[in-house]
Amino acid sequence: MWRRSASFVLDKHHNNKPISLTPSLDSPPPLSDSMAEVNPNPNPVSAYYQTRAKHHGIVTSDWLEQAQAAVVRYPDKDSPVAGRRPFSVIEEFDNWRQQPDLAEAVAAIRALAAVIRASEATTMMELEIELKKASDTLKSWDTTSISLTAGCDLFMRYVTRTSALEFEDFNAAKARVLGRAEKFGEISYKARKIIAVLSQDFIFDGCTILVHGFSRVVLEILKTAAQNKKLFRVLCTEGRPDKTGVLLAKELAKLDVPVKLLIDSAVAYSMDEVDMVIFGADGVVESGGVINMMGTYQIALVAHTMNKPVYVAAESYKFARLYPLDQKDLEPALRPVDFGVPVPPKVEVERSARDYTPPQYLTMLFTDLGVLTPSVVSDELIQLYL
Amino acid sequence: MPDVQSTVLEFVNKLRKRKIEGSQATARCTVELLRSVISHHRVPHHANQASALIDAVKAVGAQLVAANPVELAVGNVVRRVLHIIREEDLSLATAAVAGLDLLDASDDDDEDVNNGKGIGYPAMSAAVVAAAARSTLRPPSLQTLLEGTPESATVPYTSSSGADSESKTADKSSITRKLKHDVIEGVNQLIHEIAGCHEQIAEQAIEHIHQNEVILTLGSSRTVLEFLCAAKEKKRSFRVFVAEGAPRYQGHLLAKELVARGLQTTVITDSAVFAMISRVNMVIIGAHAVMANGGVIGPVGVNMAALAAKKHAVPFVVLAGSHKLCPLYPHNPEVLLNELRSPSELLDFGEFSDCLDFGAGSGSPLLQVVNPTFDYVPPSLGGHNPSYMYRLIADYYSADDLVM
Repeated sequence: MWRRSASFVLDKHHNNKPISLTPSLDSPPPLSDSMAEVNPNPNPVSAYYQTRAKHHGIVTSDWLEQAQAAVVRYPDKDSPVAGRRPFSVIEEFDNWRQQPDLAEAVAAIRALAAVIRASEATTMMELEIELKKASDTLKSWDTTSISLTAGCDLFMRYVTRTSALEFEDFNAAKARVLGRAEKFGEISYKARKIIAVLSQDFIFDGCTILVHGFSRVVLEILKTAAQNKKLFRVLCTEGRPDKTGVLLAKELAKLDVPVKLLIDSAVAYSMDEVDMVIFGADGVVESGGVINMMGTYQIALVAHTMNKPVYVAAESYKFARLYPLDQKDLEPALRPVDFGVPVPPKVEVERSARDYTPPQYLTMLFTDLGVLTPSVVSDELIQLYL
Repeated sequence: MPDVQSTVLEFVNKLRKRKIEGSQATARCTVELLRSVISHHRVPHHANQASALIDAVKAVGAQLVAANPVELAVGNVVRRVLHIIREEDLSLATAAVAGLDLLDASDDDDEDVNNGKGIGYPAMSAAVVAAAARSTLRPPSLQTLLEGTPESATVPYTSSSGADSESKTADKSSITRKLKHDVIEGVNQLIHEIAGCHEQIAEQAIEHIHQNEVILTLGSSRTVLEFLCAAKEKKRSFRVFVAEGAPRYQGHLLAKELVARGLQTTVITDSAVFAMISRVNMVIIGAHAVMANGGVIGPVGVNMAALAAKKHAVPFVVLAGSHKLCPLYPHNPEVLLNELRSPSELLDFGEFSDCLDFGAGSGSPLLQVVNPTFDYVPPSLGGHNPSYMYRLIADYYSADDLVM
C-alpha cells in the first residue's frame, strides 16, 4: 500500500478503526479494540456534518438571541439535573450544538465554560486538569469537527497562559475566564461582521462572484455588499449531496441579488465569467490552506488555472493546528451520499464530506484579524501555541 | 499657526501640480511638514494631548493624500507619524501607570473582587494594562481574541487619564511637553531613516551582486544607482544593462551616471528586454510603492521585465525604502493607482497635430495617446517573499490608521 497517507501516525489510526463501508449507516462498525473505549462516539458518520446538514435547513440571523435564550434556560434546566447525575461535557456541548447558526467553536467553548461552572476545584491547577480532561473527551467525541478541536485548544490556551494568571485570587480568575467564555458567542458574531466589512473593498461594482456550498460568513459578506448597494452577481454551486448551495441561492434571492445556480460540475464551464471565488471554511490549517466542503479544491484549481482570485472567509477561531500533507491525511469525515438511484452492489461510494485546498491556490484570507495572506496563519498559530 | 497653514497649502499645491517628483523627495517633504505641524501645534491644557496631535496630523494628512492620491508615500509617511505619536503616548502612559501602581498596590486586591465582571483598569496590574494597551496598537491576533478588552484598555492608555487621578497640573503639563518632545524626536528619526534609506539598502549590495554578473535594470531610480555603485566600490566588476524607459528615457540618465561612476553599461530598448534576459543574472528595479499583498508598483514596463525574468527563472529584486511600503491592498491598481502623463512625451505635437485635432469630424480626434507612468507587478512575479509583507506593515503602522 504505497499510495497511503503520508502521515503514518494516521495510517496506524486507520488500521485500528476500520471504517465500515456497508450502505446502512446505522449499523455500528466493528469495534476492533481499545479505540472503542477512547472514542465514546462509535458512529462513523461525521457528527459535525450531520449537524451542518440539519441546521442549514433553517437559516436565521437571530442566532444570538437563541444563544441568549439558551443562557436563560440554562440555570432552571440544568442545575437541578447537575445535582442528581454527574455532569457531562458532551451532553452540554450537544445542547449548545443544537442551536442553528451557533458556530461549533462557540458551542465547544460554552460547554467548557459549563465545566468551569460545575467544577469544585479550588486551585487553578485543578481547574486546568479538569478542563483538559473535558476538552479531550469533547475532541475525541467528534474527531471530524475541526472547529470543535480548534475552539477547545484556543480556550485551553487562554485559560493556561493569559492574563487570567495575573489575578492572585482564584475566584476572580475563574470569574474572568467564565465571563470571556460567555462573551465568545458575541466575539464570533462580531468576527463575522468584521470580516464582512473588511471584504467590502474587494467586491467591486459589476463583478461576478462564485461561491460554493453554504457558509454563514460568505452570506454575511454578500449581504453586507448588497446593503452597501454594490451591484454584483453570484453564481452558486449546488453543493451536492446536501444541496447547501441551493439554500445560499435562496437566501441571496431574498436579498434581490442576481443569482444563478450551477451543478457542481459546471464550475470550469462558468469560470470565464467569474471575477472572484469566495469560500467559507470548516478549518484553516497551519500551512494556510483550508479544509472545506467537498469540491472546494477542484474549484480552487480551476480558478487558479484561469487566474481568478480565490478568497477564503473564515473566523480566526477556525485556525487549527493541523498540517495535512495530502487529501487523505485528515481524519475522514463521512456522510451519506444519495445518488437518487440505488447504488449497485459491490460498488464503493466516496463519502468523504470535505477536502483540503493547499495554500498556493488561495489568494487571500478574510479573517477578523484582517485580510491575510495564507502564510500569516502559521505565524498566528505559532505565536499562540509556542 | 498661520504660517504652518500657509506652508501646508503651498505643499498641497506642489503635490497637486506634480511639482515634486519621486517618492523619496515627497516623503521627505511630507515628514518635514508634519514635524513643523506638530511643533507648532498648541493644545489646550485639559485636552488629551495625544489624540489632539493625532487629529491635527490626520487633518493635514488627509489634505496631502487628496492632493496626490497616486503618490502613496505621502499616506505612508502620515501613517508612520501617527504610529509614532501612538507609540510615544503609550510608553508614557505605561510609565505613568507603573508609577501609580507602586503607590496604591494595596488597593488592588479588594477592588479585584468587587469588580468581578466588568473588570476595569484599577483591578489590573501595570503589566496587564501595558499588555492591553500594546494589543490596541498591534493588529488583532489569535492570542488576544479571547483576552481582548478593548473598552477598558482604551481608558488607561491615554496619558491624561493616567496622570489625572493622582498628580497635579504641574506634573501633567510636564508630561504633555514630554510627549511632544518624544514625538518630535521620533519624527526626526524617521526623517533620518528616509534620508539614509539609499545607503542602508546599498550596504547589502555586495551580498547580492557577484563578480562578472550581468544586471538588468529599467527606468531610473536613485536607490538602484546607489546599490550598483556600492557594489562597484567594493571592487566588484559587473555589467549593467539599462532599459531606456521610454517615453521619458530616464534610463539614458541612469546610464550616464553609471558610466560617470565607472560601471560597464549597455543601453537597450525596452522592447529588447526579452531578447537580452537570457544573458542576465539578475533584474534589479526600484519601486514606486510596495503594496500590502507584496505587489509592486514600478515604472511602466516593469511587468514586462518581471514576466521575462520569470520565464527565464532570473531572480527579480525590488529595492524599496521603508517609506514606500504601503499598508493598503491594491484594487485595480493598473487604473486606480496609475497616472496618465502628457502625450507630448510620446508624440511631437507639430508633426501629429492634424491627427490630434479635436475640431475634425466627430469632435474627438482619431488618434488617442495613452501614456501611463506606472506598472503593477502582481506578488506572484516579484519581490522576495511577498507573503510576509504583513510583518513589516505590522511593525510600521497602527491598525487604526489604515483608513484615513
